[in-house]
Amino acid sequence: MPYLALNGVRVIDATTGIAGPYCGKMLADYGAEVIKLELPTKPDTSRSVGAFPYDIPHPEKSALFLHLNAGKKGITLDPSTDDGKRMFIELARQSDIILESFRPGQMAEWGIGYDALRQHRSDLVMTSITPFGQSGPHKDYQFTELTIFAAGGGMRREGLPEREPLRYGAEIAQYFSGTTAAAATMIATFGVVMSGEGEWIDISMQECMAGHPHQIGRRAPWIYGSEPDLRKPPRLAAAGMREPYAVGTFRCKDGFVSFLPLGSRMWPQLARMIDRPELIDDPRYQSSDDRTDRRTELEAIFQQWFDDHTREQVFAAGQREGLPCAPIMDTDEALANEHFRSRDYFVELAHPDAGSLTYTGMPFRLSDIAADPNTPAPRLGQHNPEIYGSLLNITAPELARLRAKGVV
Amino acid sequence: MKTAPLAGIRALELAEIWAGPFCGVLLGDMGAEVIKVEALQRIARGPIRPAPNTPGYPDYDPGERPWNRQSNFNAVNRNKFGITLDLTSEQGVDAFKRLVNISDVVFTNFAFGVMDRLGIGQEALHAIKPDLIALFTPGYGNTGPYKRHRSMGMAIDAMTGHSALRGYPDLDLSHNSLVHHPDAVGGVTAAFAICAALHYRARTGKGQFIDLSQAESFMPHLGEIFLENQMSGKRRERRGNAHPHMSPHGCYRCDGDDAWVSIAVRSRREWERFCDVIGLPQLTKDPRFASLDDRIANRDALDAIISGWTSRRERHDITAQLQAAGIPAAPVLDCGADTYDDPHLQARQYFQIVTHADAGAYPMSGPVWRFLSQADDDARTPNRHEPAPMLGEHNHQLLGDLLGYTPDTLKSLEDANIIGTTPLEGADMGGVRRFAREQATQNQ
Repeated sequence: MPYLALNGVRVIDATTGIAGPYCGKMLADYGAEVIKLELPTKPDTSRSVGAFPYDIPHPEKSALFLHLNAGKKGITLDPSTDDGKRMFIELARQSDIILESFRPGQMAEWGIGYDALRQHRSDLVMTSITPFGQSGPHKDYQFTELTIFAAGGGMRREGLPEREPLRYGAEIAQYFSGTTAAAATMIATFGVVMSGEGEWIDISMQECMAGHPHQIGRRAPWIYGSEPDLRKPPRLAAAGMREPYAVGTFRCKDGFVSFLPLGSRMWPQLARMIDRPELIDDPRYQSSDDRTDRRTELEAIFQQWFDDHTREQVFAAGQREGLPCAPIMDTDEALANEHFRSRDYFVELAHPDAGSLTYTGMPFRLSDIAADPNTPAPRLGQHNPEIYGSLLNITAPELARLRAKGVV
Repeated sequence: MKTAPLAGIRALELAEIWAGPFCGVLLGDMGAEVIKVEALQRIARGPIRPAPNTPGYPDYDPGERPWNRQSNFNAVNRNKFGITLDLTSEQGVDAFKRLVNISDVVFTNFAFGVMDRLGIGQEALHAIKPDLIALFTPGYGNTGPYKRHRSMGMAIDAMTGHSALRGYPDLDLSHNSLVHHPDAVGGVTAAFAICAALHYRARTGKGQFIDLSQAESFMPHLGEIFLENQMSGKRRERRGNAHPHMSPHGCYRCDGDDAWVSIAVRSRREWERFCDVIGLPQLTKDPRFASLDDRIANRDALDAIISGWTSRRERHDITAQLQAAGIPAAPVLDCGADTYDDPHLQARQYFQIVTHADAGAYPMSGPVWRFLSQADDDARTPNRHEPAPMLGEHNHQLLGDLLGYTPDTLKSLEDANIIGTTPLEGADMGGVRRFAREQATQNQ
């Protein structure tokens, strides 16, 4: 249900992959008209990445493409041709925002770099989303999620000290960069309302990750003490300065739960949670130092209780005592979760080829703005007649001629 | 140079730890006047009296005012003003409401219900200023059965499906680290939401209440996995560093202390070039590695061969060699010296030295984006990077200039501990009231 906050804002989303398309998706979620532009001979790479229903690859049925492009319109255009360049400039002239993820310099080589486009529209916002940004010695480096996560500074501390560093689960660095790009684009677009002047934004995924609040927080011990932030046993790593016996992830009766009590003042709550209030005043566990010294025996006491309780029971008992904790759930469990359901978070969308699926919903809610039903991801070039007809006054025969020449 | 895009926007921040403060950083970076409102009665700036020689303080020295030297706080609060107000007092709330009246934005990551209890809930705020943009972001949002639940980034990571996707596939989840990444996502999403609402207000004159659930802002980052699960009827297996459609794909030990390089080979052509680079072109003809399926089936044998090559070489050299052949590779960096010394980040002048009156000079990472048309060369941004505010640093300046409080009034507020620069006993233990309650219980 896109909120109509950005009604009237037109976006050309010429990005591929994950970060750029997710930036476009956030703008579409809040009511911008987002026109996804794909090269006729080289459509978005996510169309060829799975998962697919029955594991049968199909360019209109990729889970990744369907998710990232819901709510957008789809056109094709080859900006390397003369006709394509002319049409791109005309589209840009009628748009507020351009998103692109080509290699640095590609747009300029085609004659549609930011400087060229702003000759036609001085209040244009263009956001370039690349792994390493538009300048610097590594600007042309290749990347995948794994390598950009490694280069962003988040990886060397992830995992066990005796083993190889670990990446996060999903495509986290790319999504985070896309979200950051969306925030930057929105700031610049608001700036246009105030000043009338456009902006060219350079998003480097490496810098998004290196400027992540956890990274900058954890950089401090190095800055001040030259201590690298390396892999530690998981409970010690999670505990930091806290008492480590009830910190981290624990096996329970039907799965796993994660815990992060906020330090020694939560000891009574922890003891109450496991129905052992007598431990609060037990002389063996009086001070924080006592408890840290006896952390192995305390951990065993907690583990015994966890073994007898389900995730739901642990979660309820922990929350009753005000302890930050949560059950580890899989996405199918999140989809069925009573809380998310009660907020009508998930959205069902029917796609002509991929069928009806339940998608994740809007990242936040606005109180005073109407919402529209969402639309599924566009088929390749689905909106060529509509967009080129209404914005560029291109007639059906003319469009057929452009199609024959491979422009669209 | 143009004016910064958020110049003239005033935002009040009631936020602790990571998610909320990072939103404030992003707004402050772009020229908004962000006023962080703290209280002497409850601080999130570490312990009031940490042990001497504690990590996380400059030179391990907490100093006379540890709350101003705590590095995590100083890292995530750049480009803000700082005031203190006891919002449980009538005068404190009155001052806050006067500030609301002359502000554009109020954002908070306080637990659900706290703002209402203080008398500054959504309705109260909009009664003061109808076109205000108010963003409240408890972990699970402002409605629903979990709205009062205690949450942190790691809880959202667990609830949404990400924790179950992380870790070594051969070990169970109790070996996993806690990951607070959803905090960061919530903070950036909040900055987006506030600017979308500002844009809407500029065109319609309307304010907004924004209900941001960190969980809901993070789940779209796993969106394709939600769909995949429905398409296949199966849960995605944990993969560690492996990839279902790429091999080689992983993290390989290099020459040096805990030195690693990440490598991803995406196609047949890259595989052939990779074998050339590592000087083993015959591998392409080895039946164990002939097709992608073969390379995935014999991943361990292949990774052992690659490690044999990488372990005798330096991680940056390996990266340069593979990238020259168009193959994705990157050294595995830590967030300290590794990233600071990264030649690319250095060339882009990503770090700058910031001097803080109580904490000294330290390098701080640049804004996470660059607004190029405001640049004076092609790698600069218009940032001022002021250091994080000291506790109550701008009390006199802001309450005097903005609200017209006289020196006498400020003095009386100080005497009543409504404003000040030194936290009260127990402020670091969940707040002075909780502290007093717990002390009383213990003494019974």
